[in-house]
Amino acid sequence: MKHDKNNKWLDPLLSKHVHREPANFDFQKWAHKHPNEARLLQSGYADSSRNAKTTVQNLWRFIMESKITRYSAAAVIALAMTLVLFGPFWAPGNGNVVLADVQQNVDEIETLIIRGTKTFTRPGEPGSVLEFNGMKWEFDLVKYFSQQHGLVEEGYIGDKLIYRFTFNRPKRQTLLILPLYKKYGIFASTDKQMLLLENGTPKGIINLLMAGDYKELGRENINGVEAEVFEYQDPGTFKELLPKVIADIQNIKGKVWIAIKEQIPVRVEGDLAIGKSFMTMFQELNLHEVNTFGDYNIELDEDIFDTNPPEGYTEITLSDILPFIPIEAKAGFAGLGIAPAGLIFWKKRRRKRAKANRHE
Amino acid sequence: MRDLEDQILVQRALQSDPESFGELCRRYYDSLVAVARSILPDRHLAEDAAQEALAAACRDLAKLKKPERFGPWAGAICRNVAKDMLRQLRKQQERTEANAGNEPDYQEDDRKAILDQALQQLPQHLREAIFLRYYNEMSYEQMARVLGATEQMIDGRLRRAKKKIAAYLMKKGFRRQ
Repeated sequence: MKHDKNNKWLDPLLSKHVHREPANFDFQKWAHKHPNEARLLQSGYADSSRNAKTTVQNLWRFIMESKITRYSAAAVIALAMTLVLFGPFWAPGNGNVVLADVQQNVDEIETLIIRGTKTFTRPGEPGSVLEFNGMKWEFDLVKYFSQQHGLVEEGYIGDKLIYRFTFNRPKRQTLLILPLYKKYGIFASTDKQMLLLENGTPKGIINLLMAGDYKELGRENINGVEAEVFEYQDPGTFKELLPKVIADIQNIKGKVWIAIKEQIPVRVEGDLAIGKSFMTMFQELNLHEVNTFGDYNIELDEDIFDTNPPEGYTEITLSDILPFIPIEAKAGFAGLGIAPAGLIFWKKRRRKRAKANRHE
Repeated sequence: MRDLEDQILVQRALQSDPESFGELCRRYYDSLVAVARSILPDRHLAEDAAQEALAAACRDLAKLKKPERFGPWAGAICRNVAKDMLRQLRKQQERTEANAGNEPDYQEDDRKAILDQALQQLPQHLREAIFLRYYNEMSYEQMARVLGATEQMIDGRLRRAKKKIAAYLMKKGFRRQ
């Protein structure tokens, strides 16, 4: 690594010989000179084979392979994705007339309140609810959706609020709060980060789900509403949505109830088998979620979607998360680009030495 | 973070946002000119090559599998464009020289000519490192983004390149200052 000190005399010589002032790049001029390329950019590569799914995967892969400093942001995005997995627009199918109508109706919904449950169990132990830090992972859910303002998911155990996710669309921010620990994670969504989230919003997700297999199970009356029941299984594209390191979704199946008269979903049930991955803190888990769709197009207070951290809360750090991860699973962080402290120190020292050599 | 930004810019460029591609161009234009200049004998040609490389990158943007590596990818395209231009240039020169029967004009400053030769005798990847480093005084980090190499690798390349240049210059009678 060390440069030959005897060649130090070359620096001014080469600098003088090779150096030029930076050139200014005029994009307009370039576009004028390259009209075909400019047209291609304007059209958004309409004929391109590249699709949203690949892009989402690439972005996710990149984020999860990023450095430790971005860990919190990545965690919030990953968890925000779970929010939309069972969002109001989860409807399976691929071209059925009824489902096409449903999709259109879903697009027209301005606001929506969903209630339900979210239960985590260990594989092979269906009745055994996972315990975490003395709490059973069986949450009562309330979700608020607003086309204009965003999405909120609240998870309760008993009457205690355990977590709240707020994805504020206009402010381009996602906030996770954990009231028990007085902790929050905030994801200030800049343009680029917003783009990541936009890919994870219900509209984006539904397109992926449309490729799944489903079958009609017949009619059922649910809470006084006549509904058609569909069973769905393994929407392949859904599984591929996230890299395995984030959410190793091994199996998905469930049912969706669609009100015949209104042509909108009224209930969704889903079972996910998730392998060891970041989302499950490197444990194998099953997730069962039930969502009952409540009031549509009611007025929702804008404050619900507020992403300002509550007073007295402190930001979640890596050291807050590590104690909750099984020791054997911590190795999994290597796959997320999170290196042991010793390695970071060693790398820093190497960089320092390289820098010192450069300045010689 | 820069890689992530590149990735987002690529994605946006693919979704009818030409200005994102413009931003990518502005980010890498100087680096590409330096890469091209390490191959071509003239700055203006190098600028042409960089612009052509960006046009080729624009056409093939949808084929880019790892958008976060836009820099090294555009760098590789630029290298190829510059090499093609150099081939054409040599053919032209050969034709001109054959027609006119002229000998090359060596009235340039000797010192400058020797330095040029010292750079020309370097393998391409070492010459590229020198040009990127000294053309716009780029940092190792900036160089790494367009060469797709680690800072350690770049450091090694620069060291080897300087060693070779020094040896050549000494042979030609240059004295250390």
